[in-house]
Amino acid sequence: MSRWRPFRSELPPGRRRLLGIAAFLLPLLVWSLFSYVPWLWHPMIKVTEPAGVTWLRVDQLVPREDFAKLVEERRAADLAIPEGKRANPIFFQPPHAVARALYTAFTTKPVLRGDKWLHESLATSIKTIFWGFTISSLIGVPLGILCGAFASASRLTEPFVDFVRYMPAPAFGALMVAIFGIHLEPKIAIIVIGTFFQQVLVVANTVRRVDAGLLEAAATLGAKRRHLVLRVLLPASLPDLYNDLRILLGWAWTYLVVAEVVGVSSGITFFINQQAKYRNFDNVYAAIILIGIIGFTTDQVLGWLGRRLFAWKNPRPSRFRAFFGRLFAGREVLLFPDRPHRPAGGL
Amino acid sequence: MRFLRSALAALTATGLAASALLAAPLRVAYSDWPGWTALAIADQKGWWKEAGVDVQLLWFEYGPSMEAFTAGQVDAVTVTNGDGLVTAAGGAKNVAIMLTDYSNGNDMIVARPGINSIADLKGRKVGIEIGFVTHLLLLNGLQKAGLTEADVELVPTPTNQTPQVLASRQVDAIGAWQPNSGEALKAVPGSKAIYTSANQPGLIYDAVVVTPQSLATRRADWVKFISVWDRVVAHLANPDTREDGIRIMAARAGVDPKEYAAFLDGTRFLTLAEGHKIMSSTEEGFGSLAGSSRIADAFSVKNGVYATPQDIPSSFDASLVAEVLKKE
Amino acid sequence: MSSVANSSSASSLPDYRAQSPAVAARFARLRERPVVLELEHLGRRFVGDSGPVEALRDISFRVHRREFVCVIGPSGCGKSTLIRMLAGLDEPSSGRVLLDGRPVSGPGPDRGMVFQGYTLFPWLTVLKNVLFGLQMQGRSGASAEAEARQWLELVGLAKFADHYPNQLSGGMRQRVAIARALAPNPRVLLMDEPFGALDAQTRAQMQTHLLEIWRNVDVTILFITHDLDEAILLADRILVLKAHPGEIHEVIEVPVPRPRSFAQQQSPEFQATRRRLDELIHPAAAAPAEPLPIIRLTQAGDDVE
Repeated sequence: MSRWRPFRSELPPGRRRLLGIAAFLLPLLVWSLFSYVPWLWHPMIKVTEPAGVTWLRVDQLVPREDFAKLVEERRAADLAIPEGKRANPIFFQPPHAVARALYTAFTTKPVLRGDKWLHESLATSIKTIFWGFTISSLIGVPLGILCGAFASASRLTEPFVDFVRYMPAPAFGALMVAIFGIHLEPKIAIIVIGTFFQQVLVVANTVRRVDAGLLEAAATLGAKRRHLVLRVLLPASLPDLYNDLRILLGWAWTYLVVAEVVGVSSGITFFINQQAKYRNFDNVYAAIILIGIIGFTTDQVLGWLGRRLFAWKNPRPSRFRAFFGRLFAGREVLLFPDRPHRPAGGL
Repeated sequence: MRFLRSALAALTATGLAASALLAAPLRVAYSDWPGWTALAIADQKGWWKEAGVDVQLLWFEYGPSMEAFTAGQVDAVTVTNGDGLVTAAGGAKNVAIMLTDYSNGNDMIVARPGINSIADLKGRKVGIEIGFVTHLLLLNGLQKAGLTEADVELVPTPTNQTPQVLASRQVDAIGAWQPNSGEALKAVPGSKAIYTSANQPGLIYDAVVVTPQSLATRRADWVKFISVWDRVVAHLANPDTREDGIRIMAARAGVDPKEYAAFLDGTRFLTLAEGHKIMSSTEEGFGSLAGSSRIADAFSVKNGVYATPQDIPSSFDASLVAEVLKKE
Repeated sequence: MSSVANSSSASSLPDYRAQSPAVAARFARLRERPVVLELEHLGRRFVGDSGPVEALRDISFRVHRREFVCVIGPSGCGKSTLIRMLAGLDEPSSGRVLLDGRPVSGPGPDRGMVFQGYTLFPWLTVLKNVLFGLQMQGRSGASAEAEARQWLELVGLAKFADHYPNQLSGGMRQRVAIARALAPNPRVLLMDEPFGALDAQTRAQMQTHLLEIWRNVDVTILFITHDLDEAILLADRILVLKAHPGEIHEVIEVPVPRPRSFAQQQSPEFQATRRRLDELIHPAAAAPAEPLPIIRLTQAGDDVE
């Protein structure tokens, strides 16, 4: 199949899994090559012997050209020659350093009484995201559905929402502190502001994309306005709404970075900011990767859940359903010489 | 959820008698500066509890700490004397009740190799955050070298980006405080701090400022708050306990103690007695808080940080420190 | 469809209006039945990009109880607009529609509709799709479900009650759609080219199915198609429209006796009706298509004809 039609064809499951793993291993390989192969990149010199140069210190990083120039000058002046080995800039940390940072971050007991373990900081961050996203969704999704369903609701809401959407959520930081205090509440509020307005527009658009034919069919079956919204628009758009929310949840993580410096500093992204200030980039990458893992895992779980929740939409049914599908397909041929499972794309 | 809890707390608070209200902890917002992370020592050692006052230290970024103070969400905040005036001009009147330290080298003008003094900056580009203390530091240095602001070209640069900007060679020098100034020195080999706050002691005082309201209603508690400060300074001065103190401060900042120790050298801690002398002196110039604040005030007005000069005498109150000293 | 072939055999065919006594008697009985659906001077204008467009003009027509009427016409004659107005999904610009003598406005369960694109609710099982109309009438519980199952039985899909629409073939989906439209007991079943997307074999089966259903259910059917043979096979009367604007061209009483079967396609009545429809839909007067200016791209002697 894929040989003569290389585009958009389904891969066999084994190959799919293999490529999925390679998708992670490949960047790791590139990262490792640049970290451990000394002649790849490594644009700095890490000083091992200052040889009396006043401004050089052991372990200081110097650009290669500058170091070469210095060596030349010293040689010309017949002075001791400083030594060093090739190294990467401070912001480029090798995998093992990041892995070590990740491990230490989790295993180091907080030094100060009342301070949090890393996993507790993470829990705070996740709690912030959770409440921010939940509050936003509780208002944003119903409002978006109304806007998608009724033109009047859309006109009354969307121009203003569109207007506020362009206001950067971080700009509301001081105001949120004034209203909600300094703890978790203003952070949650920032996430709500960052998510809500996008959410209304995205949800409204998704609801508007529902096939008008379904609404017409329902109307000819006697469905009234309320039923059209609750029994047709809502279930028809639910799988897409679910995916919208998955994407918006990803955005909420972006707002967490600004939310966590509002009010009392806390959570995983504050950790990133603080470590970046002191240029502890191994810690920075460890935390970023951690967020990546959390986000990716959440999304995979939600995706898996979505495929089960909306099985009717899934073109590849679960193994269980596929088995029965085949069973019935076989009987169908006996009972009705219809062509089973004709692709609906022909319409 | 916390909303519910805080709503309940507010209800309870209004419902209860004033005595219950007084029992609430003093909420102090602090941020990453050696003079202020030192407060964590008192907290961790339980010295405030010993002194009979309940203090809640709240860890912030510097900017958001002032926002929280302006919003009335905390009773006190740690700021430079100049920023105390900025906060007051922004509507949040405040009173400095003690000085923690003055910057003694942590604020720097860092120049690329080949530039060895402030005088060499004539006609050069300097990356600086306009209206901030490093700007004031630069002007002070230029003045001493017989130059003015007009003799250099200022390139507005956020302080946390100054290391990269200096490394990119777009400017000849930058102004920054720690840890950015140290990073700039590391980022550009051969670069040099040509002028620092150590050259002008008293240019930047660091203080604990409180709301006038809290000062009026809970003065006795604030006196207790101050009373532990000399123990903190002594803890850091004593070679036997210094390491323990730095460990606590570094942990608060989230960095390695060895790394953090370097910043202490650029910070001149002030005992209560030293602080009191500076607060009560009426001399002009950087030797007194009033003199330093007047210079900072004029600078802020000139650079459009705020429009009207602030009332300096009401911006601090040396009497609390005096009370502690008298008891001793 | 070659018009030459038609004209050569024309002389041997009877007049399409000639009816056998049995057929004539049937039409007489049919006309006695009460009028279910009445179209009164129905017209529809749209505002197009280049000014107003008249899609339908002055359509007046009556459909009797349990009659099977097909509507055919060239593309652009407004067939779909017509059926959408009958369903209440579109508002007429002039004239009105009467159902059992009462004017209708808006869609309602008294006029069931089957769409070309199935429009089954993909999130509901086959049974729940059929149940939908009943629930809209406020019915629920075991009796409603039993009734829905009966409708599925009628279209031969009882075994697929718990399947989702996307597990079914096109023909099966359309059978569900018919069951769903019939479940609320409509007076009229409106069908908008329902078999247009099906392959020839499935389509033939569906036509047989539909006739079977129609025989067993008290319902009047108005069926739109562009397939002339389908119209003759199914209809009592065929409403032929012409385009620009859409107007009634002719109403043909199909002389082919009932019950119908595919074998009748060779009968003289069928052929005569077929020829008449051809004349109406593809008029011979129209200029013959110009031969394409084709350059020979094969080698000389390499001929396929």
